[in-house]
Amino acid sequence: MEQDESRQRGMHRRDFLRGAALGLAGLALPLDRADASFWEAFFQKHFREMNDEEIKQVISRLEKEYAQKFKKQIEIGADKPIPGVLYGYGLDLSRCIGCRRCVYGCVAENNQSIDPQIHWITVLRFRKGEKWVDLENSEKYYSPEKVPEEEYFYMPVQCQQCENPPCVRACPTQATWKEPDGIVVIDYNWCIGCRYCMAACPYGARRFNWGAPNRPEEKINPKTHYLGNRPRYRGVVEKCTFCIQRTRKDPGRYPACVEACPVGARKFGNLLDPNSEIRYAIEHKRVFRLKEDLNTSPKFYYFFAYGR
Amino acid sequence: MIQTIRNFFIALRQIAVGDKKYYLWVSLLSFLVLLGASAYISQLNRGLIVTAMRDQVSWGLYISNFTFLVGVAAAAVLLVVPAYLYNFKPIKEIVLFGELLAISAITMCILFIMADMGQPLRVWHILPIIGAMNFPASLLAWDVVVLNGYLAINTAIAFYVLYRLSIGKEYKMSVIGPLIILSIPWAVSIHTVTAFLYNGLSSRPFWNASILAPRFLASAFCSGPAIMLILFQIIRKLSEVEIDNKAIFKIAELIAYAMGINLFLLGAEIFKEFYSGSIHSAPIEYLYFGLHGHNKLVPWMWFATTMNITAFFLFMFPKTRENFTTLNMACLFVVTGVYIEKGMGLIIPGFIPDTLGEIYEYTPTMQEILVTIGIWASGALLYTFLLKLAIPVYTGKLRFFSKAQIVVARDIMSRRMALVHPETPVTDLIRQMIEKHLSGAAVVDENNRLVGAVSDTDAISLEIGETAGKTTADVMKPPSAAVLQDVRIQDLGKILAASGTNLLFVVDGDGQPLGTVAGSDVLNALENIRQE
Repeated sequence: MEQDESRQRGMHRRDFLRGAALGLAGLALPLDRADASFWEAFFQKHFREMNDEEIKQVISRLEKEYAQKFKKQIEIGADKPIPGVLYGYGLDLSRCIGCRRCVYGCVAENNQSIDPQIHWITVLRFRKGEKWVDLENSEKYYSPEKVPEEEYFYMPVQCQQCENPPCVRACPTQATWKEPDGIVVIDYNWCIGCRYCMAACPYGARRFNWGAPNRPEEKINPKTHYLGNRPRYRGVVEKCTFCIQRTRKDPGRYPACVEACPVGARKFGNLLDPNSEIRYAIEHKRVFRLKEDLNTSPKFYYFFAYGR
Repeated sequence: MIQTIRNFFIALRQIAVGDKKYYLWVSLLSFLVLLGASAYISQLNRGLIVTAMRDQVSWGLYISNFTFLVGVAAAAVLLVVPAYLYNFKPIKEIVLFGELLAISAITMCILFIMADMGQPLRVWHILPIIGAMNFPASLLAWDVVVLNGYLAINTAIAFYVLYRLSIGKEYKMSVIGPLIILSIPWAVSIHTVTAFLYNGLSSRPFWNASILAPRFLASAFCSGPAIMLILFQIIRKLSEVEIDNKAIFKIAELIAYAMGINLFLLGAEIFKEFYSGSIHSAPIEYLYFGLHGHNKLVPWMWFATTMNITAFFLFMFPKTRENFTTLNMACLFVVTGVYIEKGMGLIIPGFIPDTLGEIYEYTPTMQEILVTIGIWASGALLYTFLLKLAIPVYTGKLRFFSKAQIVVARDIMSRRMALVHPETPVTDLIRQMIEKHLSGAAVVDENNRLVGAVSDTDAISLEIGETAGKTTADVMKPPSAAVLQDVRIQDLGKILAASGTNLLFVVDGDGQPLGTVAGSDVLNALENIRQE
């Protein structure tokens, strides 16, 4: 009982401090935007500090905001990690034809801004028979008539969902963190847009909303997750979440890029399940991970199913 | 309460009222601040897309300036160390202006960070307790701690000293001594942490070099003091503050050492990168020679290198560093050189080529440049106001009201005086008195205790007679006209009348001279008291 009381007092003090500091900061705000939901958004707590009830409230506020903005109902999920699941990704470089269907599948699913253009997947093109994965001489903006091209091979890169993610360590506000199922997520309402995580990421996986994200209403995917593909704001960082809105459902769905790949180069599954496809690939193929020397320990495995 | 309000208005008036030149300077700065503010407002409305930064090069001009200015702020320590630890008096007297510069520089740092943020209103998320500061994992969180701590320490020291002086009291070392000692490692820490911010990222081979922190400190200890040297010359030209040439040349000597170390460290870095020739040398290759036909920074880097090397030689030889023309040239060169080298020359190649090998060449947009100019102008404005207030307090021209209105010698004395030793040649003595427009000089022994005095009448008789080979000891008189610092003003009048001179030396309990009181000072003060 006593303990309970002191905890409450602690909370009060904390809330008071927060209120006092923010009240002062609030004086500097533009007045025309000072409606109630603006203040609620401003005072919103860190995602991991909120209890289920508070998360529900925030989500209903956000759904209202989105409905107003996009003139359609957008559903924001907050599915929790499934116990006993650690997601892993495999990419068969011997199959990839560089068609970028994964890139566009991802954009259709994850509500990225169309203008300014944001892609979460970058496909790199390398010349065969020279150096191996020579990033400095890779081409990101290739555009031939037809793919695949005889003299090139392709390597899609997206967030590697590192077990030891440098971006999470860098973030000064804990706005990005690794979930128990291994997915590195971002709270778009907590990110201050300092972009230190982008400097820290060795894989160029993080994207910043330099301008206000723009996406026609009819192209908005209404099935979203709070930590995933819900519409973002100007001035915050975003990135691949292994389609958290799909993969955390039970039964789940493959990430959009896996579904979009016409040649089956993309594999996805539970690293903790010995019978999963991804475990099969890791155990039977010659896998490698990008920039292994940095000890980031990606859960994104590249491999070769067959030689060509 | 009323006193506080009165003192506030005194301070306000001091800042608001100045001569024509002052108004012109302040309005120029204000104009630039407004220009920057309007550019910033458009950035707020449209997002950072108005800058040239993109995902490939995600930091640019703002963070470059931030990095440079952290160095300027840290360099205040270069003055504090000799001033307090070794009691080097000429520097001790100007350390206050260095600390005010540190305050202004840190303020600019904070503004640059704010300008760079995508969501500036959420800045409170970074605070402990009310936010979710990622401490100790994030180096950026460390930077927030050390920079704000440094700002607090320097503000506390500077304002305590100014407050004590403004109510006519000497400051107590027992109060600020510990703070001053603390400020030394703290100054080193702000720059070390800022270096670690880059240094700790394994994703960026150009920054991921352990030499970065030492290089940061070395380059900060050349550019920061160089800025101060220029400012000190301006201060002493525009105000009554005496800044001894000895102090200026001592600082110039320290810059020479720092400069040598800085160039050596740069050389070590260049050797390692180019000799080992791994793929991680791509950024430095981009910097100095260009990469795959991209070479926008190349001319800037060679320009900076030339500036730094030239400045090094100018600082190294006593002949050129003790000549104000070459000294000022060297200062300008080193500030320019370091600004390029550890501003854009450090931040941009961290991102070129980017982590996936792409080269995106960054050139700041007009908006970024205007915001940058605006922030520099706000820093200059802040420093101007701080000096406008601090200088008259320091020289004793401006006094605030305190509870006890007992006026003593210390309150009305002038801190300007010529200090000579018995063995000082008479020619030097006369030159000092003429240069400083003083009607008397204090003669002190090796312990800085008053042992004699020379008045202007003594000096005149010397000018008529033979000066060659004579020292001060030959002409000085016993210090009959010395008073303790807490002698009340009413008594001063009597002492003056009895001593038969027009100039009293004010000494502290140890017999060290603090300043002089002339008959006119006493008359003015008595008149002021009568009017109140």
